[in-house]
Amino acid sequence: MSAAANQSPPIPRAPSMERTLHRLFLTLFLRGRSARGLHKESAPKSIGSRLLLTLVIYTLMGLMAFVFWGKPVFGLALYLHAMTLVFLGMLVAGSAGEMLFNSQEADILLHRPVTPKALLRAKVGVLAQVSLWLAGAFNLTGFFVGVWCRNGGWGFPLAHALSTVLAALFCAGSVVLVYQLCLRWFGRERLDGVMTTAQVFTAIFAVLGAQLAPQLLGRFSDRAPLSLEAWWVGLLPPAWFAGFDDALAGSGDASSWALGAFGVVVTTGVLWLSFGRLARDYELGLQTLSEAAPARPSPPGSPRRWLNRLAGLPPLCWGLRDPVARASFLLAAAYLVRDREVKLRVFPGLAPLLVFPILLLWQSHGKAGLGSFGIVLGGTYICLIPVLAMQMLRFSQQWQAADLFRLAPLAGPAPLALGARQAVVWLLLAPLLVVYAVAAWFLAPDRSQLLLLLPGLIALPAISLVPCATAAFVPFSAPSEEAKSAGRGLSMFGLMLLSLVLSGLAAAAWSGGWFGWLVFVESGLAIAAYIGLRTRIGQRRWEPLDG
Amino acid sequence: MIHLQNLVKRFGAQMAVAGLSFDIPAGQIVGFLGPNGAGKTTTLKMLTGMLTPTSGTATVAGFDLATDTLEVKRQTGFVPDSGAVYESLTGLEYLEMVAALYGIPEAAARERIRQFLAFFDLSFETLTDKLLGAYSKGMRRKVVITAALLHNPPVVFFDEPLDGLDANAAVGFKALIQTLAREGKTIVYSSHILDVVEKVCERVLIIDQGRLLLDGRPDELVASHQAGTLEKLFTRLTGGAEIERRAEDFAKTFRL
Repeated sequence: MSAAANQSPPIPRAPSMERTLHRLFLTLFLRGRSARGLHKESAPKSIGSRLLLTLVIYTLMGLMAFVFWGKPVFGLALYLHAMTLVFLGMLVAGSAGEMLFNSQEADILLHRPVTPKALLRAKVGVLAQVSLWLAGAFNLTGFFVGVWCRNGGWGFPLAHALSTVLAALFCAGSVVLVYQLCLRWFGRERLDGVMTTAQVFTAIFAVLGAQLAPQLLGRFSDRAPLSLEAWWVGLLPPAWFAGFDDALAGSGDASSWALGAFGVVVTTGVLWLSFGRLARDYELGLQTLSEAAPARPSPPGSPRRWLNRLAGLPPLCWGLRDPVARASFLLAAAYLVRDREVKLRVFPGLAPLLVFPILLLWQSHGKAGLGSFGIVLGGTYICLIPVLAMQMLRFSQQWQAADLFRLAPLAGPAPLALGARQAVVWLLLAPLLVVYAVAAWFLAPDRSQLLLLLPGLIALPAISLVPCATAAFVPFSAPSEEAKSAGRGLSMFGLMLLSLVLSGLAAAAWSGGWFGWLVFVESGLAIAAYIGLRTRIGQRRWEPLDG
Repeated sequence: MIHLQNLVKRFGAQMAVAGLSFDIPAGQIVGFLGPNGAGKTTTLKMLTGMLTPTSGTATVAGFDLATDTLEVKRQTGFVPDSGAVYESLTGLEYLEMVAALYGIPEAAARERIRQFLAFFDLSFETLTDKLLGAYSKGMRRKVVITAALLHNPPVVFFDEPLDGLDANAAVGFKALIQTLAREGKTIVYSSHILDVVEKVCERVLIIDQGRLLLDGRPDELVASHQAGTLEKLFTRLTGGAEIERRAEDFAKTFRL
């Protein structure tokens, strides 16, 4: 016993530390990390109620499982696990970065008697718990459909519940493992950038997977034994957990037992690596966040210099003659390139808008009738990219910094909105247009049909002004918690309907032989709308803060 | 109570703390001073177990920083300069969470929290109803100070504790730490407000570029260097002697 230990009374070990941490992180997850409301009653419940709504939506989406009524257990289980892993992947990848490596947390918790392992367990426990709520909601219908599947039975709900828990643990463990490996391989200086990139790509793949998985499963489900004999099934994590179900409550084939056993082994391995072998790396990661990164001079090709050069190039510089618009462009571009939170919201959010038009092209490949509608709808969907991106650029965790713009001698937010719009057009829309054009070139049934992209492209300049005209748009001026408001979804839904109408009209014009006239009239309307919207934006003044 | 021997912290090629050595006995209030980037916060973070030293040894309250990190954390309280809190918890939820981490029973924690509320002139309703995100900077700082002292640690580190506190709270806080020191607690007080340090601290450590420049009683140091005030001594030592002339030159650039 050291002398110092005798000087002060020993403080008892906290018996409820694990519970305290679990309750803390669950509260933070449900309420959000930062709250603006004055009272407990007003601010924090929005995320909890959103979670409830999400559970209801997941339950409704799970009704799709009825399609597998009377079909083999493996098919149903594969579908359920594929979709579960996609949704959980989105949730965990989107939340894990903020939850595992919150930069402010070091100052709050690291000097307290809490082990990094306990922190990691509590955080992943919360992620797994919420994942299981969602997985339970989505699989609710599937539990019962499995009873009436071919070679199914009352053992299915139990087997599927077990395999769903395994899948949730595998998903949470994998994401944690990716973070820890990033830290180990890339070091502290590049950790933040690498983690953000990994998160963005995981989220994009999860979003794309959610759209592609049903298509692929639809195609594969036509083939009888659902590829249990195909060697590549063993590469798909959903197949491992589906094999688990099929082994315990389905056909009981040897291949299912092998897949199920493989799933258990891999999940155990992932959990051992992430919570045992690499737990020390988590401690280092937390310390890293409390360190001030050494200042390093920007290399010649760094984004900062690259963005400045880009802003000076025509045609972009023509739209950035106003120094305030140029400053707003650089601000928006910097956040799109550097800020983890903005990147995680914007890129996965835009992924469906890119993949949906390409799916339309793919589906209409070789089918001339559907092809014209598919191509024109793809073109009009591309138009929605700047609208959605602009809406997302309104939100940031550093929203209070936008007061700077109100202090500046600006009559209104017009140049700020127009500068941010240029960033969206040149950094997001232009690359996506190139990708879509290349896809259309190869997938369009007839290349003359590429003219069908015109209605969308003509509407683009005017539609991209809509977010600036309908509200006093100031980039990064609203708190992140408001990013998922129902009103935003409603306005996007309205624009999607508009694009459907325009696409139907254009497809009819194409087959009716009056497409040229449609383009002519639309051009006139688009020019008028553009001028009207620009005028309206220019006339906008600051809205009162208490409004 | 605190003993450092050649403590070093490197961040890649950058040397943040370059071999600090000093001892602080129990019951002393020590001002820990240095210009921006001198290594003060890094040193405090090492002494509270937040950062692992690159080399060197340190003991806090008799416990080795490298081998008994959790014990060191139990024996210390820390008010970080960021004042970070979980903004979506109420003040009471936050303080009860902190109390639980130190194993303080709920009833005892409530009683201690009430004592702090009375000291800082805060209402219990404010603590239960408002989320920390809605607190003023000063109120938030009071909660952070309360959280640092809740478990009655023998060693307390303060990093810019007066930031955001109003004049009355600042006066009360200074009296508080002087009383705590008389009761036997060791206080390490890092601040840029040198006249407060001069009044409150019986000893100052001045560091720059991770190295210890001076160690002694403020009045003795000022006298031996014929500086007049601690502020003048500090600017002379840390390369700020020319700052007044540079400020004048800079201000002239604003002439209409």
